[in-house]
Amino acid sequence: MIPGKDGSLPRDFRHNAEKGEAMSDTYITPEMRAAVGREYRWFTSYPIDASDIRRWAIAVYYPEQAPPQYWDEEQARKTRWGGMVAPEEFNPFAWMSAEPRASLGVEAARPWPELYLGVTPPETRANILAGLEVEHTKVRMRPGDVIRSATTLAGYRERQGRMGLMLFTTSEERWTNQHGELVRTGRMTLIRYR
Amino acid sequence: MTSASANASKNTLTGSIKVGDTIPPFQREGTLQHWNRYAGVNYEFAGHHMDDEIGRHEGFPSAIGMAPLILAYLHGMLRNWGGEDARVVKVAMELRRPFLRGRTLIASGKVSGTREEDGELLVDLEVWADDDQGTRLVGGTAVMALAL
Repeated sequence: MIPGKDGSLPRDFRHNAEKGEAMSDTYITPEMRAAVGREYRWFTSYPIDASDIRRWAIAVYYPEQAPPQYWDEEQARKTRWGGMVAPEEFNPFAWMSAEPRASLGVEAARPWPELYLGVTPPETRANILAGLEVEHTKVRMRPGDVIRSATTLAGYRERQGRMGLMLFTTSEERWTNQHGELVRTGRMTLIRYR
Repeated sequence: MTSASANASKNTLTGSIKVGDTIPPFQREGTLQHWNRYAGVNYEFAGHHMDDEIGRHEGFPSAIGMAPLILAYLHGMLRNWGGEDARVVKVAMELRRPFLRGRTLIASGKVSGTREEDGELLVDLEVWADDDQGTRLVGGTAVMALAL
């Protein structure tokens, strides 16, 4: 299996690149280019539970105790937020979304957008995460909130690197709450190569 | 911390920030105890996060930590510095090397600019995470908002 999330190249692929295997001129087909800008995936979360927030904070801050505003309602009321809010990076879609009913386990194995867009993906055998960017608005996620995410194919670019021709695929994500308020935007860049 | 004391610490912080300041590091060991807790809340059960053998099979020296957990550690570092009334506005990180099991991750940050906007002090930072052998795991930028 090819590493998909952690940014380093498996030894086997480094060796292949060093051998100078033949590379194509481009991975980007007209069909792929035409798909840029299309929304390809969306999720609606179940309502966020206070215990989801508690568990998230405990996991992220382990082995230290998480800040009390993430597990103590009384303390949370005294903050600027007036109640419990989730840490900004909290993921309300873990385990299962309300709509569609798909687990992230399936997602992680097929992270590239072409499969959702009905577009033939390029033939690559390596897939790694190159970068993550998140921007949070002043609207916080709170217990009871239902979050909707929509992901768009933002673009492709290519670059010659140590691994030969590499395809960079960037997707953009927008999260809104049940009031239609923007909560967060994100960008993820994946690198693929042969 | 009470709201009053939070405000006191917040005001102290906003009044003293200057370009070049470093913020307290956020350090976490790379153990399955840490990673499995995060796997449980973020549904991240890929074998290379849990099993050295699978990590080696994929070309790494060991199991490797999750990139979103590193992103969460950067958020945690920023929140620990900014206090309970601060908010993380933006974090961008570029992945450079894997976080290997048995290593310790040390996230750090340095102030690169400040500006006031809409009743908040926005602080621009360079952020990064190295392991305990000095290998740069991620580099990036962040923006933190502190209430004025």
